[in-house]
Amino acid sequence: MLYCDAYLTPRSLADAFTAMAEYRGRYRLVAGATDTLPWARAGRAGDVAIPALIDVSAIPELRERRVDATRVRIGAATPMQRFLDDGDLARAMPVMARCAVWFADDQIRAAATVGGNLVNASPAADATPPLLAHDAQVELACAREGKITRRRMALGDFVRGPGKTALEADEILLAIECAALPGYGAEFEKVGHRRSLVIATVCLAAVVRLDAAHAIADLRLAVGGVGPVPCRLHESENFLRGGAATLARLEEAAHMTVGLVQSRTRHDYRRDVLHGFVVRGLASALRRAGGASPPVGELEASHA
Amino acid sequence: MPDLRIDATVNGRAISRPAKPWQRLLDFLRDDLNLTGNKEGCGAGECGTCSVFLDGVLVKSCLVPVAKAQNARVETIESLGRAGALSVLQRAFHKAGASQCGYCIPGMVMAGTAALRANPLAGREEIRERLGGNICRCTGYQKILDAVELTRDVGNGTLPESALAEEEPADGRFIGANVRRLDAPSKVSGALKYAADMTMPGMLHVQVLRSPHPHARIVSIDTAGAQAMPGVAGVVMADDVPGIDGFGVFVNDQPVLARGKVRYVGDAIVAVAAEDELTARRALDHVTVVYDPLPAVFDPREAMRPGAPVIHDDAPDNITKHIPIRVGDVESGFARSDLIVTQTYSTQAIEHAYLEPEAGLGYVDPDGVVTIISPSQNITHHRHMLARILALPINRVRFIMSPVGGGFGGKEDMIYQGILALLAIKTGRPVRYVFTREESIIATAKRHPSRTTLKMGLTRDGRICAVEFRMISDGGAYGLSTEGVMRKAAILGAGPYNIANLRMDTYGVYTNNTPSGAFRSFGALQTQFATESHLDICAEKLGLDPFAIRRVNAMRDGAVTHTKQTLGSVSLMRALAAAEEAARWEAGPPSSRGATRHDLGGAGNRAPCTLGARFAAAEHAAQPEKVA
Repeated sequence: MLYCDAYLTPRSLADAFTAMAEYRGRYRLVAGATDTLPWARAGRAGDVAIPALIDVSAIPELRERRVDATRVRIGAATPMQRFLDDGDLARAMPVMARCAVWFADDQIRAAATVGGNLVNASPAADATPPLLAHDAQVELACAREGKITRRRMALGDFVRGPGKTALEADEILLAIECAALPGYGAEFEKVGHRRSLVIATVCLAAVVRLDAAHAIADLRLAVGGVGPVPCRLHESENFLRGGAATLARLEEAAHMTVGLVQSRTRHDYRRDVLHGFVVRGLASALRRAGGASPPVGELEASHA
Repeated sequence: MPDLRIDATVNGRAISRPAKPWQRLLDFLRDDLNLTGNKEGCGAGECGTCSVFLDGVLVKSCLVPVAKAQNARVETIESLGRAGALSVLQRAFHKAGASQCGYCIPGMVMAGTAALRANPLAGREEIRERLGGNICRCTGYQKILDAVELTRDVGNGTLPESALAEEEPADGRFIGANVRRLDAPSKVSGALKYAADMTMPGMLHVQVLRSPHPHARIVSIDTAGAQAMPGVAGVVMADDVPGIDGFGVFVNDQPVLARGKVRYVGDAIVAVAAEDELTARRALDHVTVVYDPLPAVFDPREAMRPGAPVIHDDAPDNITKHIPIRVGDVESGFARSDLIVTQTYSTQAIEHAYLEPEAGLGYVDPDGVVTIISPSQNITHHRHMLARILALPINRVRFIMSPVGGGFGGKEDMIYQGILALLAIKTGRPVRYVFTREESIIATAKRHPSRTTLKMGLTRDGRICAVEFRMISDGGAYGLSTEGVMRKAAILGAGPYNIANLRMDTYGVYTNNTPSGAFRSFGALQTQFATESHLDICAEKLGLDPFAIRRVNAMRDGAVTHTKQTLGSVSLMRALAAAEEAARWEAGPPSSRGATRHDLGGAGNRAPCTLGARFAAAEHAAQPEKVA
């Protein structure tokens, strides 16, 4: 069980930093709290007593939402469900909508935040691959010498390893910024022991845009669960970009991922799944991008 | 730091009251507002028995710090309806037979309500997806989905409201008719009180210290620190048992609290009753147990070997129960066989995972009767055992069975009722003990893991000539139901087949693993898994159809089993025919099918699990716009 002497809900960034200074070394930040509460139970951290829980989910900067035709800026405390039920956000980040439907369940998504998912830095974090596909930047803030300062970095640099990020002890993850990708076809693939409420064994984000000739104008692929940190599949992307979307080429691109699996367990399984996810995920994304979608037909034929 | 003060609207009423900063919304609703329709099934967001609306959005209240309810609008199952004034969805659950044990049902009703609020026209797949965060262990979900679909159809006028009414049996006969459950309204409304929902004036809360060692001698137990804590009202251990200490379904080999040694990780040692759960929990940190670890054994085959660590002194061979059955002449049967196949099959431990973790109350009534309220599946036997443990005449011990939020055999064992009795006697106050999900998994019985070696001799046409069957089961640290499970395994394990020559041995063995006990099918599952798998393998080797090999050996009306029971009527042939038809079975040996089989996919097959039905629904809804 999780016990605390104080549960603080600062309404401003300044108040949050004041509370963090007051409880220095004796607090834990929470937003949705959906990971923190199950963490403090038998079999994981056991009973945990923390002097202060500081709930950052009410801070305006962490609840920001700016969406236009080219850019998206969302506060770190944005609940995952927004990617499904906020139409503008879903259109600007089609792969996040696909990801969100696989994230925990409707009820937990209503509370769980995208920032929480990033700072936990699970190798299998659902939100990280799609945000990598968006070339997302994260914005961090701290209060030092009485002044609030912000810094920015690429998400790929922020996530350092299992449970490790670039976040300093006195920093808060404020917001995530990325390119909007309206009109892209998207797919999120995930496999685990059940549909809802499951940690991914492998997950994959795929976004694709086609040109007028139905060649691949842009595509981004990112994978989670197969190594210490989620990553982009640059080799496969580069191979496919600019070319025709045929099943043979998807298969070839998928084959390039074989060496990527560095997980501690179930290598062969993950290799097979990743291969399948690249082909099937791209085929679905291509179809949603408005492609004539020969790959899907071919794919179905090849598995009939 | 002072308590929080929560101002909120709960079920339409303004509330303003203090709360502990660490409380979850679930605790606040249950303990402070007595809204016990919201259940705790797991405390980790996995099961959905605690789902409530927070500002109109469904959340799992076990994952919501109570501070998040500040200035919010909370709606619980209690706001949806009550017996006599149920919501349409609650009436649909009643009509469809969607509630069984009922423990998941308030959460399911909330999730179903949320699904139809999100999309009043949701299809079955979308409903399934939106209910994905809620677990039911009884129904298999179909009736729950039926109920939500029925609600949708009544809501959008596709079906008349009369579809919610009970159907009158056509000929006035209730046998075979689809009748509604009498207890459903109390379950769909969340009104029914399970043990963890009950409180009594002056009630204390119980927590239990459990062993971290699989096998160890207890050198000493020092409870002075716990006894001295403010708020602690009583501490008990084995020395507090006044009578003959031991319980079990067949052998009374398990003490109420560990006596002299611990035999598995999770063995109960010391129990504390305190004014609140947190104090009781913290008191456990002030109990010092000195252990002398003993060699432990985790594999029943090793436990059977001479020289293995002995777990119970009165079972020096570690055998809990051996059931031997001998029929005919096995050696001559094998001699006459055209094919002999030997194979070993193993099964694992399985947790019952009922949605209601164990819970119970104990008190001594004004007449001195020790009374236990718990979801026990076997109260009469428990009453007899507890009377002996407490050295009380049977009329001074009473058991009241609270609603069982799922049992499946897992609530047959009296593993905590003795603790409740000791603490009620010691403190003179009512006590309540509610297991966490983790505690339930650590401490309670599992399905017996088994290892079965099966040797079968058959003629070329598939007739079984002889069977030699040896099953070794891991009974874990205590006997519980092992003896009965071994009997049923032996009685039923060879399957519904005529076997003239049979040598059957089932062994239940003590180990230092979590105890095994009763679990649906009671041993038959493990042994029949071996027998049925074996028949498929033999069919393949003989080039026979799996249905055909079973028909050749099938018991018919009047058959005599290997335990000499005469079966008046045997439905096996009908069951085989029905299964063969339902599966669209392609005749032939198991190895004859492959890429060409047409019995996979199509009607009657569940498509692979996926998510995203709501996207398909949205795309479908967007379609007419595009056309226009």
